[in-house]
Amino acid sequence: MNSNNKLNIKPKDENLYLPEKATITKIKNFTDKELFFELELQNNKPLGHIPGQFIQLSILGIGEAPISISSPPGADNKFEICVRAVGDVTNKLHSFNVGDEIFIRGPFGHGFDDSIIQKMYRKHILFIAGGIGYVPLRSLINKVLKEPELYEKISILYGCKTPDEIMYKEEIAEVAEMGKNIEFLKTVDHGDENWTGNTGVITTLIPQVKFNPLNTIAIIAGPPVMYKFVLISLINKGMPKSNIYMSLERRMKCGVGKCGHCKMEGIYVCKEGPVFNYADIENNEEVL
Amino acid sequence: MNGKFRKISKKDLLIGLDRIINDGRKLAALTRKGEKVLYDYVTKSDEILMQYIPTVLSPKKFFLPQDEVILEYTTKGKVTAKIEAESMVLFGIKPCDLHGIKILDEAFAESNGDPNYLAKREKSLIIGLDCSRLCDEKAFCYKVNAQNITTGCDFMLHNTGIDFAVTVYTEKGAEQLDKYFQTEIKSENILDDFNQAKAAAFSKFGTFKQLKQLPEIFENNKNHSVWQTEGDKCLSCGSCILVCPTCYCFDVADEMALNLKKGERIRRWDACMLNSFAVVAGNDNFREEPKDRLKHRINRKFNYLMKKHGESVCVGCGRCVRACLVNISPKTIAETITGELSTGG
Ligand SMILES: Cc1cc2nc3c(=O)[nH]c(=O)nc-3n(C[C@H](O)[C@H](O)[C@H](O)COP(=O)(O)OP(=O)(O)OC[C@H]3O[C@@H](n4cnc5c(N)ncnc54)[C@H](O)[C@@H]3O)c2cc1C
Ligand code: SF4
Ligand code: FES
Repeated sequence: MNSNNKLNIKPKDENLYLPEKATITKIKNFTDKELFFELELQNNKPLGHIPGQFIQLSILGIGEAPISISSPPGADNKFEICVRAVGDVTNKLHSFNVGDEIFIRGPFGHGFDDSIIQKMYRKHILFIAGGIGYVPLRSLINKVLKEPELYEKISILYGCKTPDEIMYKEEIAEVAEMGKNIEFLKTVDHGDENWTGNTGVITTLIPQVKFNPLNTIAIIAGPPVMYKFVLISLINKGMPKSNIYMSLERRMKCGVGKCGHCKMEGIYVCKEGPVFNYADIENNEEVL
Repeated sequence: MNGKFRKISKKDLLIGLDRIINDGRKLAALTRKGEKVLYDYVTKSDEILMQYIPTVLSPKKFFLPQDEVILEYTTKGKVTAKIEAESMVLFGIKPCDLHGIKILDEAFAESNGDPNYLAKREKSLIIGLDCSRLCDEKAFCYKVNAQNITTGCDFMLHNTGIDFAVTVYTEKGAEQLDKYFQTEIKSENILDDFNQAKAAAFSKFGTFKQLKQLPEIFENNKNHSVWQTEGDKCLSCGSCILVCPTCYCFDVADEMALNLKKGERIRRWDACMLNSFAVVAGNDNFREEPKDRLKHRINRKFNYLMKKHGESVCVGCGRCVRACLVNISPKTIAETITGELSTGG
């Protein structure tokens, strides 16, 4: 008998597409468009994620959307997300109240795993977040801020279009006060009458940070246009491509490497990403 | 099997197929509905066409239906997974389509297996029907050697003109063959004549000269002018994808019943040739022009997925060539990129 025919096509016990119930336990208003949610899994188990991973958030009757987990891994069954209302699922979620139920699948994707975290120890960590890109990085940022002594220095650069779009305002203010080896720089493209900070796109903050490119790990997330300019500016400073990590966004439907929507050439962003080392994908023409 | 060869007469074949139907199992085969020739369920063996005429849709529709409910839910928040899988026999599947099924099997079984596809696949028996000649001038299975594929079926029939020689590939195939069909064991190699005739019919057709190197060649030709010239013709209609046996991308949508008390989550075929396929919030489109999408689709066949599966993912069935309104063909594109076209190979 031909051994080529011996593919294992037995269905697995777990159904990939069946979501679990979660309750909304907290909602905070960040900006006009973005809300913060704390969710509690009804199965009483921790979500079991690592920083950089995402969930598929379901609203029955409307659909699913991939959403980053923005809290660091925890021992209880709660976790946080921050959602910008842009379409069907996200607008519907914004109409929900504390106590309402939603459904989730996940955690999915390749996040900042142990091997990346190991590489970060004793290094200068440079976070560069544009707009809603702060959300996918926040899980890692908050993990790193819990034990800042493990890193040489932590610099967080955060850019938004306008001051109203800045999220996590209180939290950010606290981080900025933490001192020690932590710095937090903000910029907005267009300030208003009350804005006294930096204005300009996020790349204008990079020259304000003193870093040795060989001993620094940069971690980037933001809107598609941002990556190119940030990469150019880091590489011009002499940073090796393998010191750069980025979290990417693509359209996703299944989140589990089947539907094909998230493909970037031959790479499934939902499975092999959303976190990538730039050196691994620099030749992929569909990255930027 | 132990140097012995099995054969089945045409009459016994039809009797066996009727037994399958009478057993309450669904039997899908090549059949005629009005003007159309297609793979569909039949209720009697005499509805089956033995002589292959290319179909518009491939047998992938039996495992990955165009629309499929994957979840059912109530507005009260009760969600259940829905898997519809019936015991099914697919009869008369051609080597190119068997290759297509094998690619889908690998894609859907990979890591966290797809519950719906695998359940359907597990409950099916696939009976292959070998080709003895090229089905039409649009088919190019020989370019990737797909006419000689046998993987993907449980047993295969080879039409010798008088009767059918049988090659068994799986245990399930052996068991089901014995259960439904009267076969005869022969000591002489009854396949020889068939194989010789087949080889003669395909002798003037060769594979891509650098078949094994296609992924590398495609990887190095992302900027080849063929993407622009062929992309400029493309109407972004997505027909090529619907008919392709190895395109399996899907969309997922929620639909509520009219009473708004119940709903379903449905997955349906989607097409990376459609403009909206890779659009994300903020209206950024990662494949803006037809040429980007065509490059993606063809690279999936001969590069990205070929690397993963170790074999061409285009099986050369020619369906997309027949469906395309502006004559775009994976064969021509590959030949242009490998240089075979200009050198007259
Ligand atoms: C890994 C990942 C993490 C993300 N994390 C967050 C997050 O933490 N917070 C947040 O607010 N958003 C996040 N997004 C973006 C979010 O998934 C989309 O905004 C959301 O899917 C839109 O769904 P909708 O039903 O509200 O919009 P739709 O009504 O479906 O469409 C509105 C717009 O969004 C685009 N879009 C539709 N589906 C997707 C999709 N699956 N991915 C991207 N764009 C899409 C459409 O093209 C359209 O322009 C993330 C996306 C990815 C891929
Ligand atoms: S790309 Fe065209 S010829 Fe190749 S397998 Fe798909 S439909 Fe058939
Ligand atoms: S989101 Fe479906 S394959 Fe990645």
